[in-house]
Amino acid sequence: MATKLGDWMDDRTGWRTHHATIFLRKIPKINWSYTLGSATLFTMFIQIVTGILLTLYYVPEPQQAYASVSYITNELPFGWLIRGLHHWGASAMVLLVVLHMVRVIIYGAYKYPREFTWITGVALLLLTFAFGFTGYLLPWDQRAYWATVVGTQIGEVTPVVGDTLRAVMLGGEEISGLTLTRFYGAHVWVLPSLLLLLVGIHIFLVIRNGITSVPKRGE
Amino acid sequence: MGDDADGPVDEKVGPLGPSIEDESSDDQGVSRRKLLAGSVGIMGGAIAAGIGVPAVFYVAGPSQEQQVAQEWVRLGSVTSVDSAEPTLMKATIERRAGYLTTTEEFSVFVTTENGTDFVALSNVCTHLGCRVRWVEEQSGFFCPCHNAVFNRDGSVATGPPPRPLDSFETKVEDGQIFIKGV
Amino acid sequence: MKKEEREAYLENYEEEKKKGVPFWPDIIFKDSIVAFIIFIALVALAYFVGASLEEIADPSDATYTPRPEWYFLFLFQLLKFFPGDLEVIGVIVLPVIAIVFLILLPWIDRSSRRHPAGRPVVIGVTVFGMVAAVFLTVQAVEEAPPPGGTTAEGDRTAALYVDNCAGCHGSTVAVAPGTDLFAVISAGTHEGMPSWNADLAADEIDALVGFILAPRGNEVFASSCAGCHTADELIEADAIELRNALEAGSGYPPHETLDVPEWSEVLSSAEQGQLLNFLTAPDGQRLWTQQCSSCHGRSVAFAGTTEELREVVVQGGGHLDMPAFGATLGDADIEILANYVTDPASTPEGEQLFAQSCASCHAQRIPRVESFDEAVQAIALGGAHEDMPVWGEILTDEQTDALVAYVAEAAERPDLASGQELYAQNCANCHGEFGEGGLNPARSDDIIAPISTAEYLRTRDDQTLRAIISQGQPNFGMSPFGSAFGGPLSDDQVDELVAFMRAWEANPPVELPPEVEDVPQPTASGQEVYGQLCAQCHGQLGQGGIGTAFADPSWQSANSDRDIFDAVNLGHEATAMIAWGEVLTSQQIEQLVVHIRTFESSGSTAGPPTYDGAVSSIFEESCTACHGSLGGWTGTSYEEALNTGQGGPTIIPGDPDNSRLVQTMIDTHPDGVIMPPAGLLPDDTVQIIIDWVAAGAPER
Repeated sequence: MATKLGDWMDDRTGWRTHHATIFLRKIPKINWSYTLGSATLFTMFIQIVTGILLTLYYVPEPQQAYASVSYITNELPFGWLIRGLHHWGASAMVLLVVLHMVRVIIYGAYKYPREFTWITGVALLLLTFAFGFTGYLLPWDQRAYWATVVGTQIGEVTPVVGDTLRAVMLGGEEISGLTLTRFYGAHVWVLPSLLLLLVGIHIFLVIRNGITSVPKRGE
Repeated sequence: MGDDADGPVDEKVGPLGPSIEDESSDDQGVSRRKLLAGSVGIMGGAIAAGIGVPAVFYVAGPSQEQQVAQEWVRLGSVTSVDSAEPTLMKATIERRAGYLTTTEEFSVFVTTENGTDFVALSNVCTHLGCRVRWVEEQSGFFCPCHNAVFNRDGSVATGPPPRPLDSFETKVEDGQIFIKGV
Repeated sequence: MKKEEREAYLENYEEEKKKGVPFWPDIIFKDSIVAFIIFIALVALAYFVGASLEEIADPSDATYTPRPEWYFLFLFQLLKFFPGDLEVIGVIVLPVIAIVFLILLPWIDRSSRRHPAGRPVVIGVTVFGMVAAVFLTVQAVEEAPPPGGTTAEGDRTAALYVDNCAGCHGSTVAVAPGTDLFAVISAGTHEGMPSWNADLAADEIDALVGFILAPRGNEVFASSCAGCHTADELIEADAIELRNALEAGSGYPPHETLDVPEWSEVLSSAEQGQLLNFLTAPDGQRLWTQQCSSCHGRSVAFAGTTEELREVVVQGGGHLDMPAFGATLGDADIEILANYVTDPASTPEGEQLFAQSCASCHAQRIPRVESFDEAVQAIALGGAHEDMPVWGEILTDEQTDALVAYVAEAAERPDLASGQELYAQNCANCHGEFGEGGLNPARSDDIIAPISTAEYLRTRDDQTLRAIISQGQPNFGMSPFGSAFGGPLSDDQVDELVAFMRAWEANPPVELPPEVEDVPQPTASGQEVYGQLCAQCHGQLGQGGIGTAFADPSWQSANSDRDIFDAVNLGHEATAMIAWGEVLTSQQIEQLVVHIRTFESSGSTAGPPTYDGAVSSIFEESCTACHGSLGGWTGTSYEEALNTGQGGPTIIPGDPDNSRLVQTMIDTHPDGVIMPPAGLLPDDTVQIIIDWVAAGAPER
């Protein structure tokens, strides 16, 4: 029965070929540092799942943002876990994505034929920082607010367009409810869309080109 | 980089079945692979459960909160109740939903036969939640949505409602009517 | 990479793969183990550390120390190496270079070598970048301890520093010599440091200035003095007194019973300077107010150069020789000048001459002389100006610099007339003609507090006033007035306004009730309370003034006891008559009503002022700054007040017209001496002294 269903599915989707391409391929012998990429991917999934769960209660409006985060943290069953995972997952993801990049540099894995994989990786690194920056404001507590004040003021020194850039980013001269909603929109819709797209390309290329082998001395 | 044919992995010549069959012909290889696959399944399952189970409680959290107020809510003076026909009385109640507290106004029909015993009936039709009103000619509560009629005691006279109008526990204290369970 | 190299690589890679392992399950197994460990770690962090939630964001709270998330800290720290205009390098140039480097890496490193040993440049740059980031992050974490972390309890100055400065500056700040730190803190810098004057009182900024400039001073204070003293209490101390006390050791009377060493034995001269700088911060305006204004008045006038001014201050009177004008002026001119300084009113032609010859040192202040002959002699021969302390021996270099800088700047201030006009045009509408405040037209139910009180002006320095006027107070409905913020006034005009407001300090337009901290004990009787509080506006004898005249029989008959009680208890909105019920007990108010009623029966005389009553406090407030430590007449006790004085009694009981005290206070003294030198006291204060002397100068 299972085989029959599998055959039917394979006929309509060709999944066996895809499955074999993804899972049954052979990989050069590699060491533990090669798990950093998949670990980053794993924390990304944690962030997606916990992030979605947080949006069930979070309201991006100054008074309610704080009240809802407080409700999630202090009153909802396992709210502390969901928010805690998301909070620490963010730090973990930044750390892992940087270590992953360092590993790639050390093994020269950005070289032919993986140049484009590398460029998507750099974009993903920047995206991760953007996630961290926009997400930091959302709880709307003192730490969030003032870190964003400092963060956006730093950007103000950009020559010529600095002031305009900051005003556009904040939706006004000062941090306000408008800033909160646009940071929320970026953190929940814009950045994840880009992230999924880039991660998709990145993983496709990793599978297509294979993972780098550990270079031997003199190679 | 050249065209696709130069690519390192061509799907047709990709690392497929043959090499794996080589290993699966070896008994040791099979048991090792099963062990690894099993371990992956256990760890994956643990992680999924570690997030999934708390997530269920997390999502269900607010539904477990006490929705029905257990305090007595004051409706008004007994003298304002007309013994001839049901009297619509208004009161406000604070409802808490998560971190938000909202004030809601609600209405109940209060009837009395003798001026000492009171019955409080919800003015919400049990069919689809429209508001019912007292119609003297029919001496019953009329719901305009599907022409349902409830009797004075709340039982269904005609129409689609599945059950009588909801009633509330009442008490009288210092000449004031209180109800419970709104 | 050449085509052959690429092909060779692909071939080699195929070989590697053949020798490799299948992705499922071998690789995924490894990945799962790592994922599982990460998951456990995250759950543990969520459980044991949690995600904190601080207080709700408060945009008006500038005391919060902002910190970015840890992974941005290295960037935050990097900015400290690029002050001012260089900031753009740290913020834009370096990050852009880093990102471009990363993107272009495959084309920068084009060799076919893959092993790290074969790519020293790329590996070197990467390692350097990572080490630098880690180093900067660690440095940022170490330099800026979280607020309230390491301060010793009770060290309020250090706590101020931690709360306000440490977040950005770390544990110490290097200040270039000659920096006006007070101005920097109160006005902020264009390098991104905010202005603190809205959040910190002048006292607090001074405390910070002392703390930052003289960390060793703080240590010495904390280890040697803090057992008995708090730093706040000494910040307003008299610099002369402070130095005396420190030099005398246990010879200083209050230290007699204590084992206090002479500081020259225990502290190096550098430490002595640091201690003084810590206690009396180099803040020119405060130094001027504390040390100079009792003789020189509040309005600063000096026409010479900064170097000359510095010399005057450092050398003080003892060394400051007036030139012998006999050599340069003719006898006639000297005679005119002598007449002018003896009696300015009689010799109007002296004014011009004085302005030419004397004003560069004396400014508008006419020196005190005993007689015409003395004046002629002094002018012709010159001589030392002994009244002025030798500040060079009292103040530290930093303090002297600050004082000189302040005086030089303040001397160039505009005159008050234009400030007054500007005030009437722009401010009086909301703040009242005398700065007394009133209903806020911008916000209903809001009262604008008085801005002319001593308390208000004392706690806000010129920088602060300037900032408030230019930037407005949007939270309270005050629009910005500075042209830089879209208002109508130029910077110069704002300065004129500030100068005008500052002049209120010397001549209060309205004597407002003292702040609540000066409030009488709950045990004080109604009469005492009246003398202390009510008399300021309603007159010692109920004769009225700013406030209602209680002695007026028609007022007495128009108001019931209940009316009076309510008026005292509830006050009148938007006037200086505050709701005293918040300050006084109802019993005291009842006694006050009884006391106010006594004015009715006694008409306008409820008894003359006494030394113990109103007089001693006037002496203490207006005279003791000079009379007391500098010799001559002293008013610090009743006996001294009546018996001391140069060349005869100062007070002749019963004869105010011939008492020198009264003469100097109403400018009828034959030698033209006026007291206080900076300007006469308000008429009603003078009247109390006259009444007191006329009544036979009773002690109580």
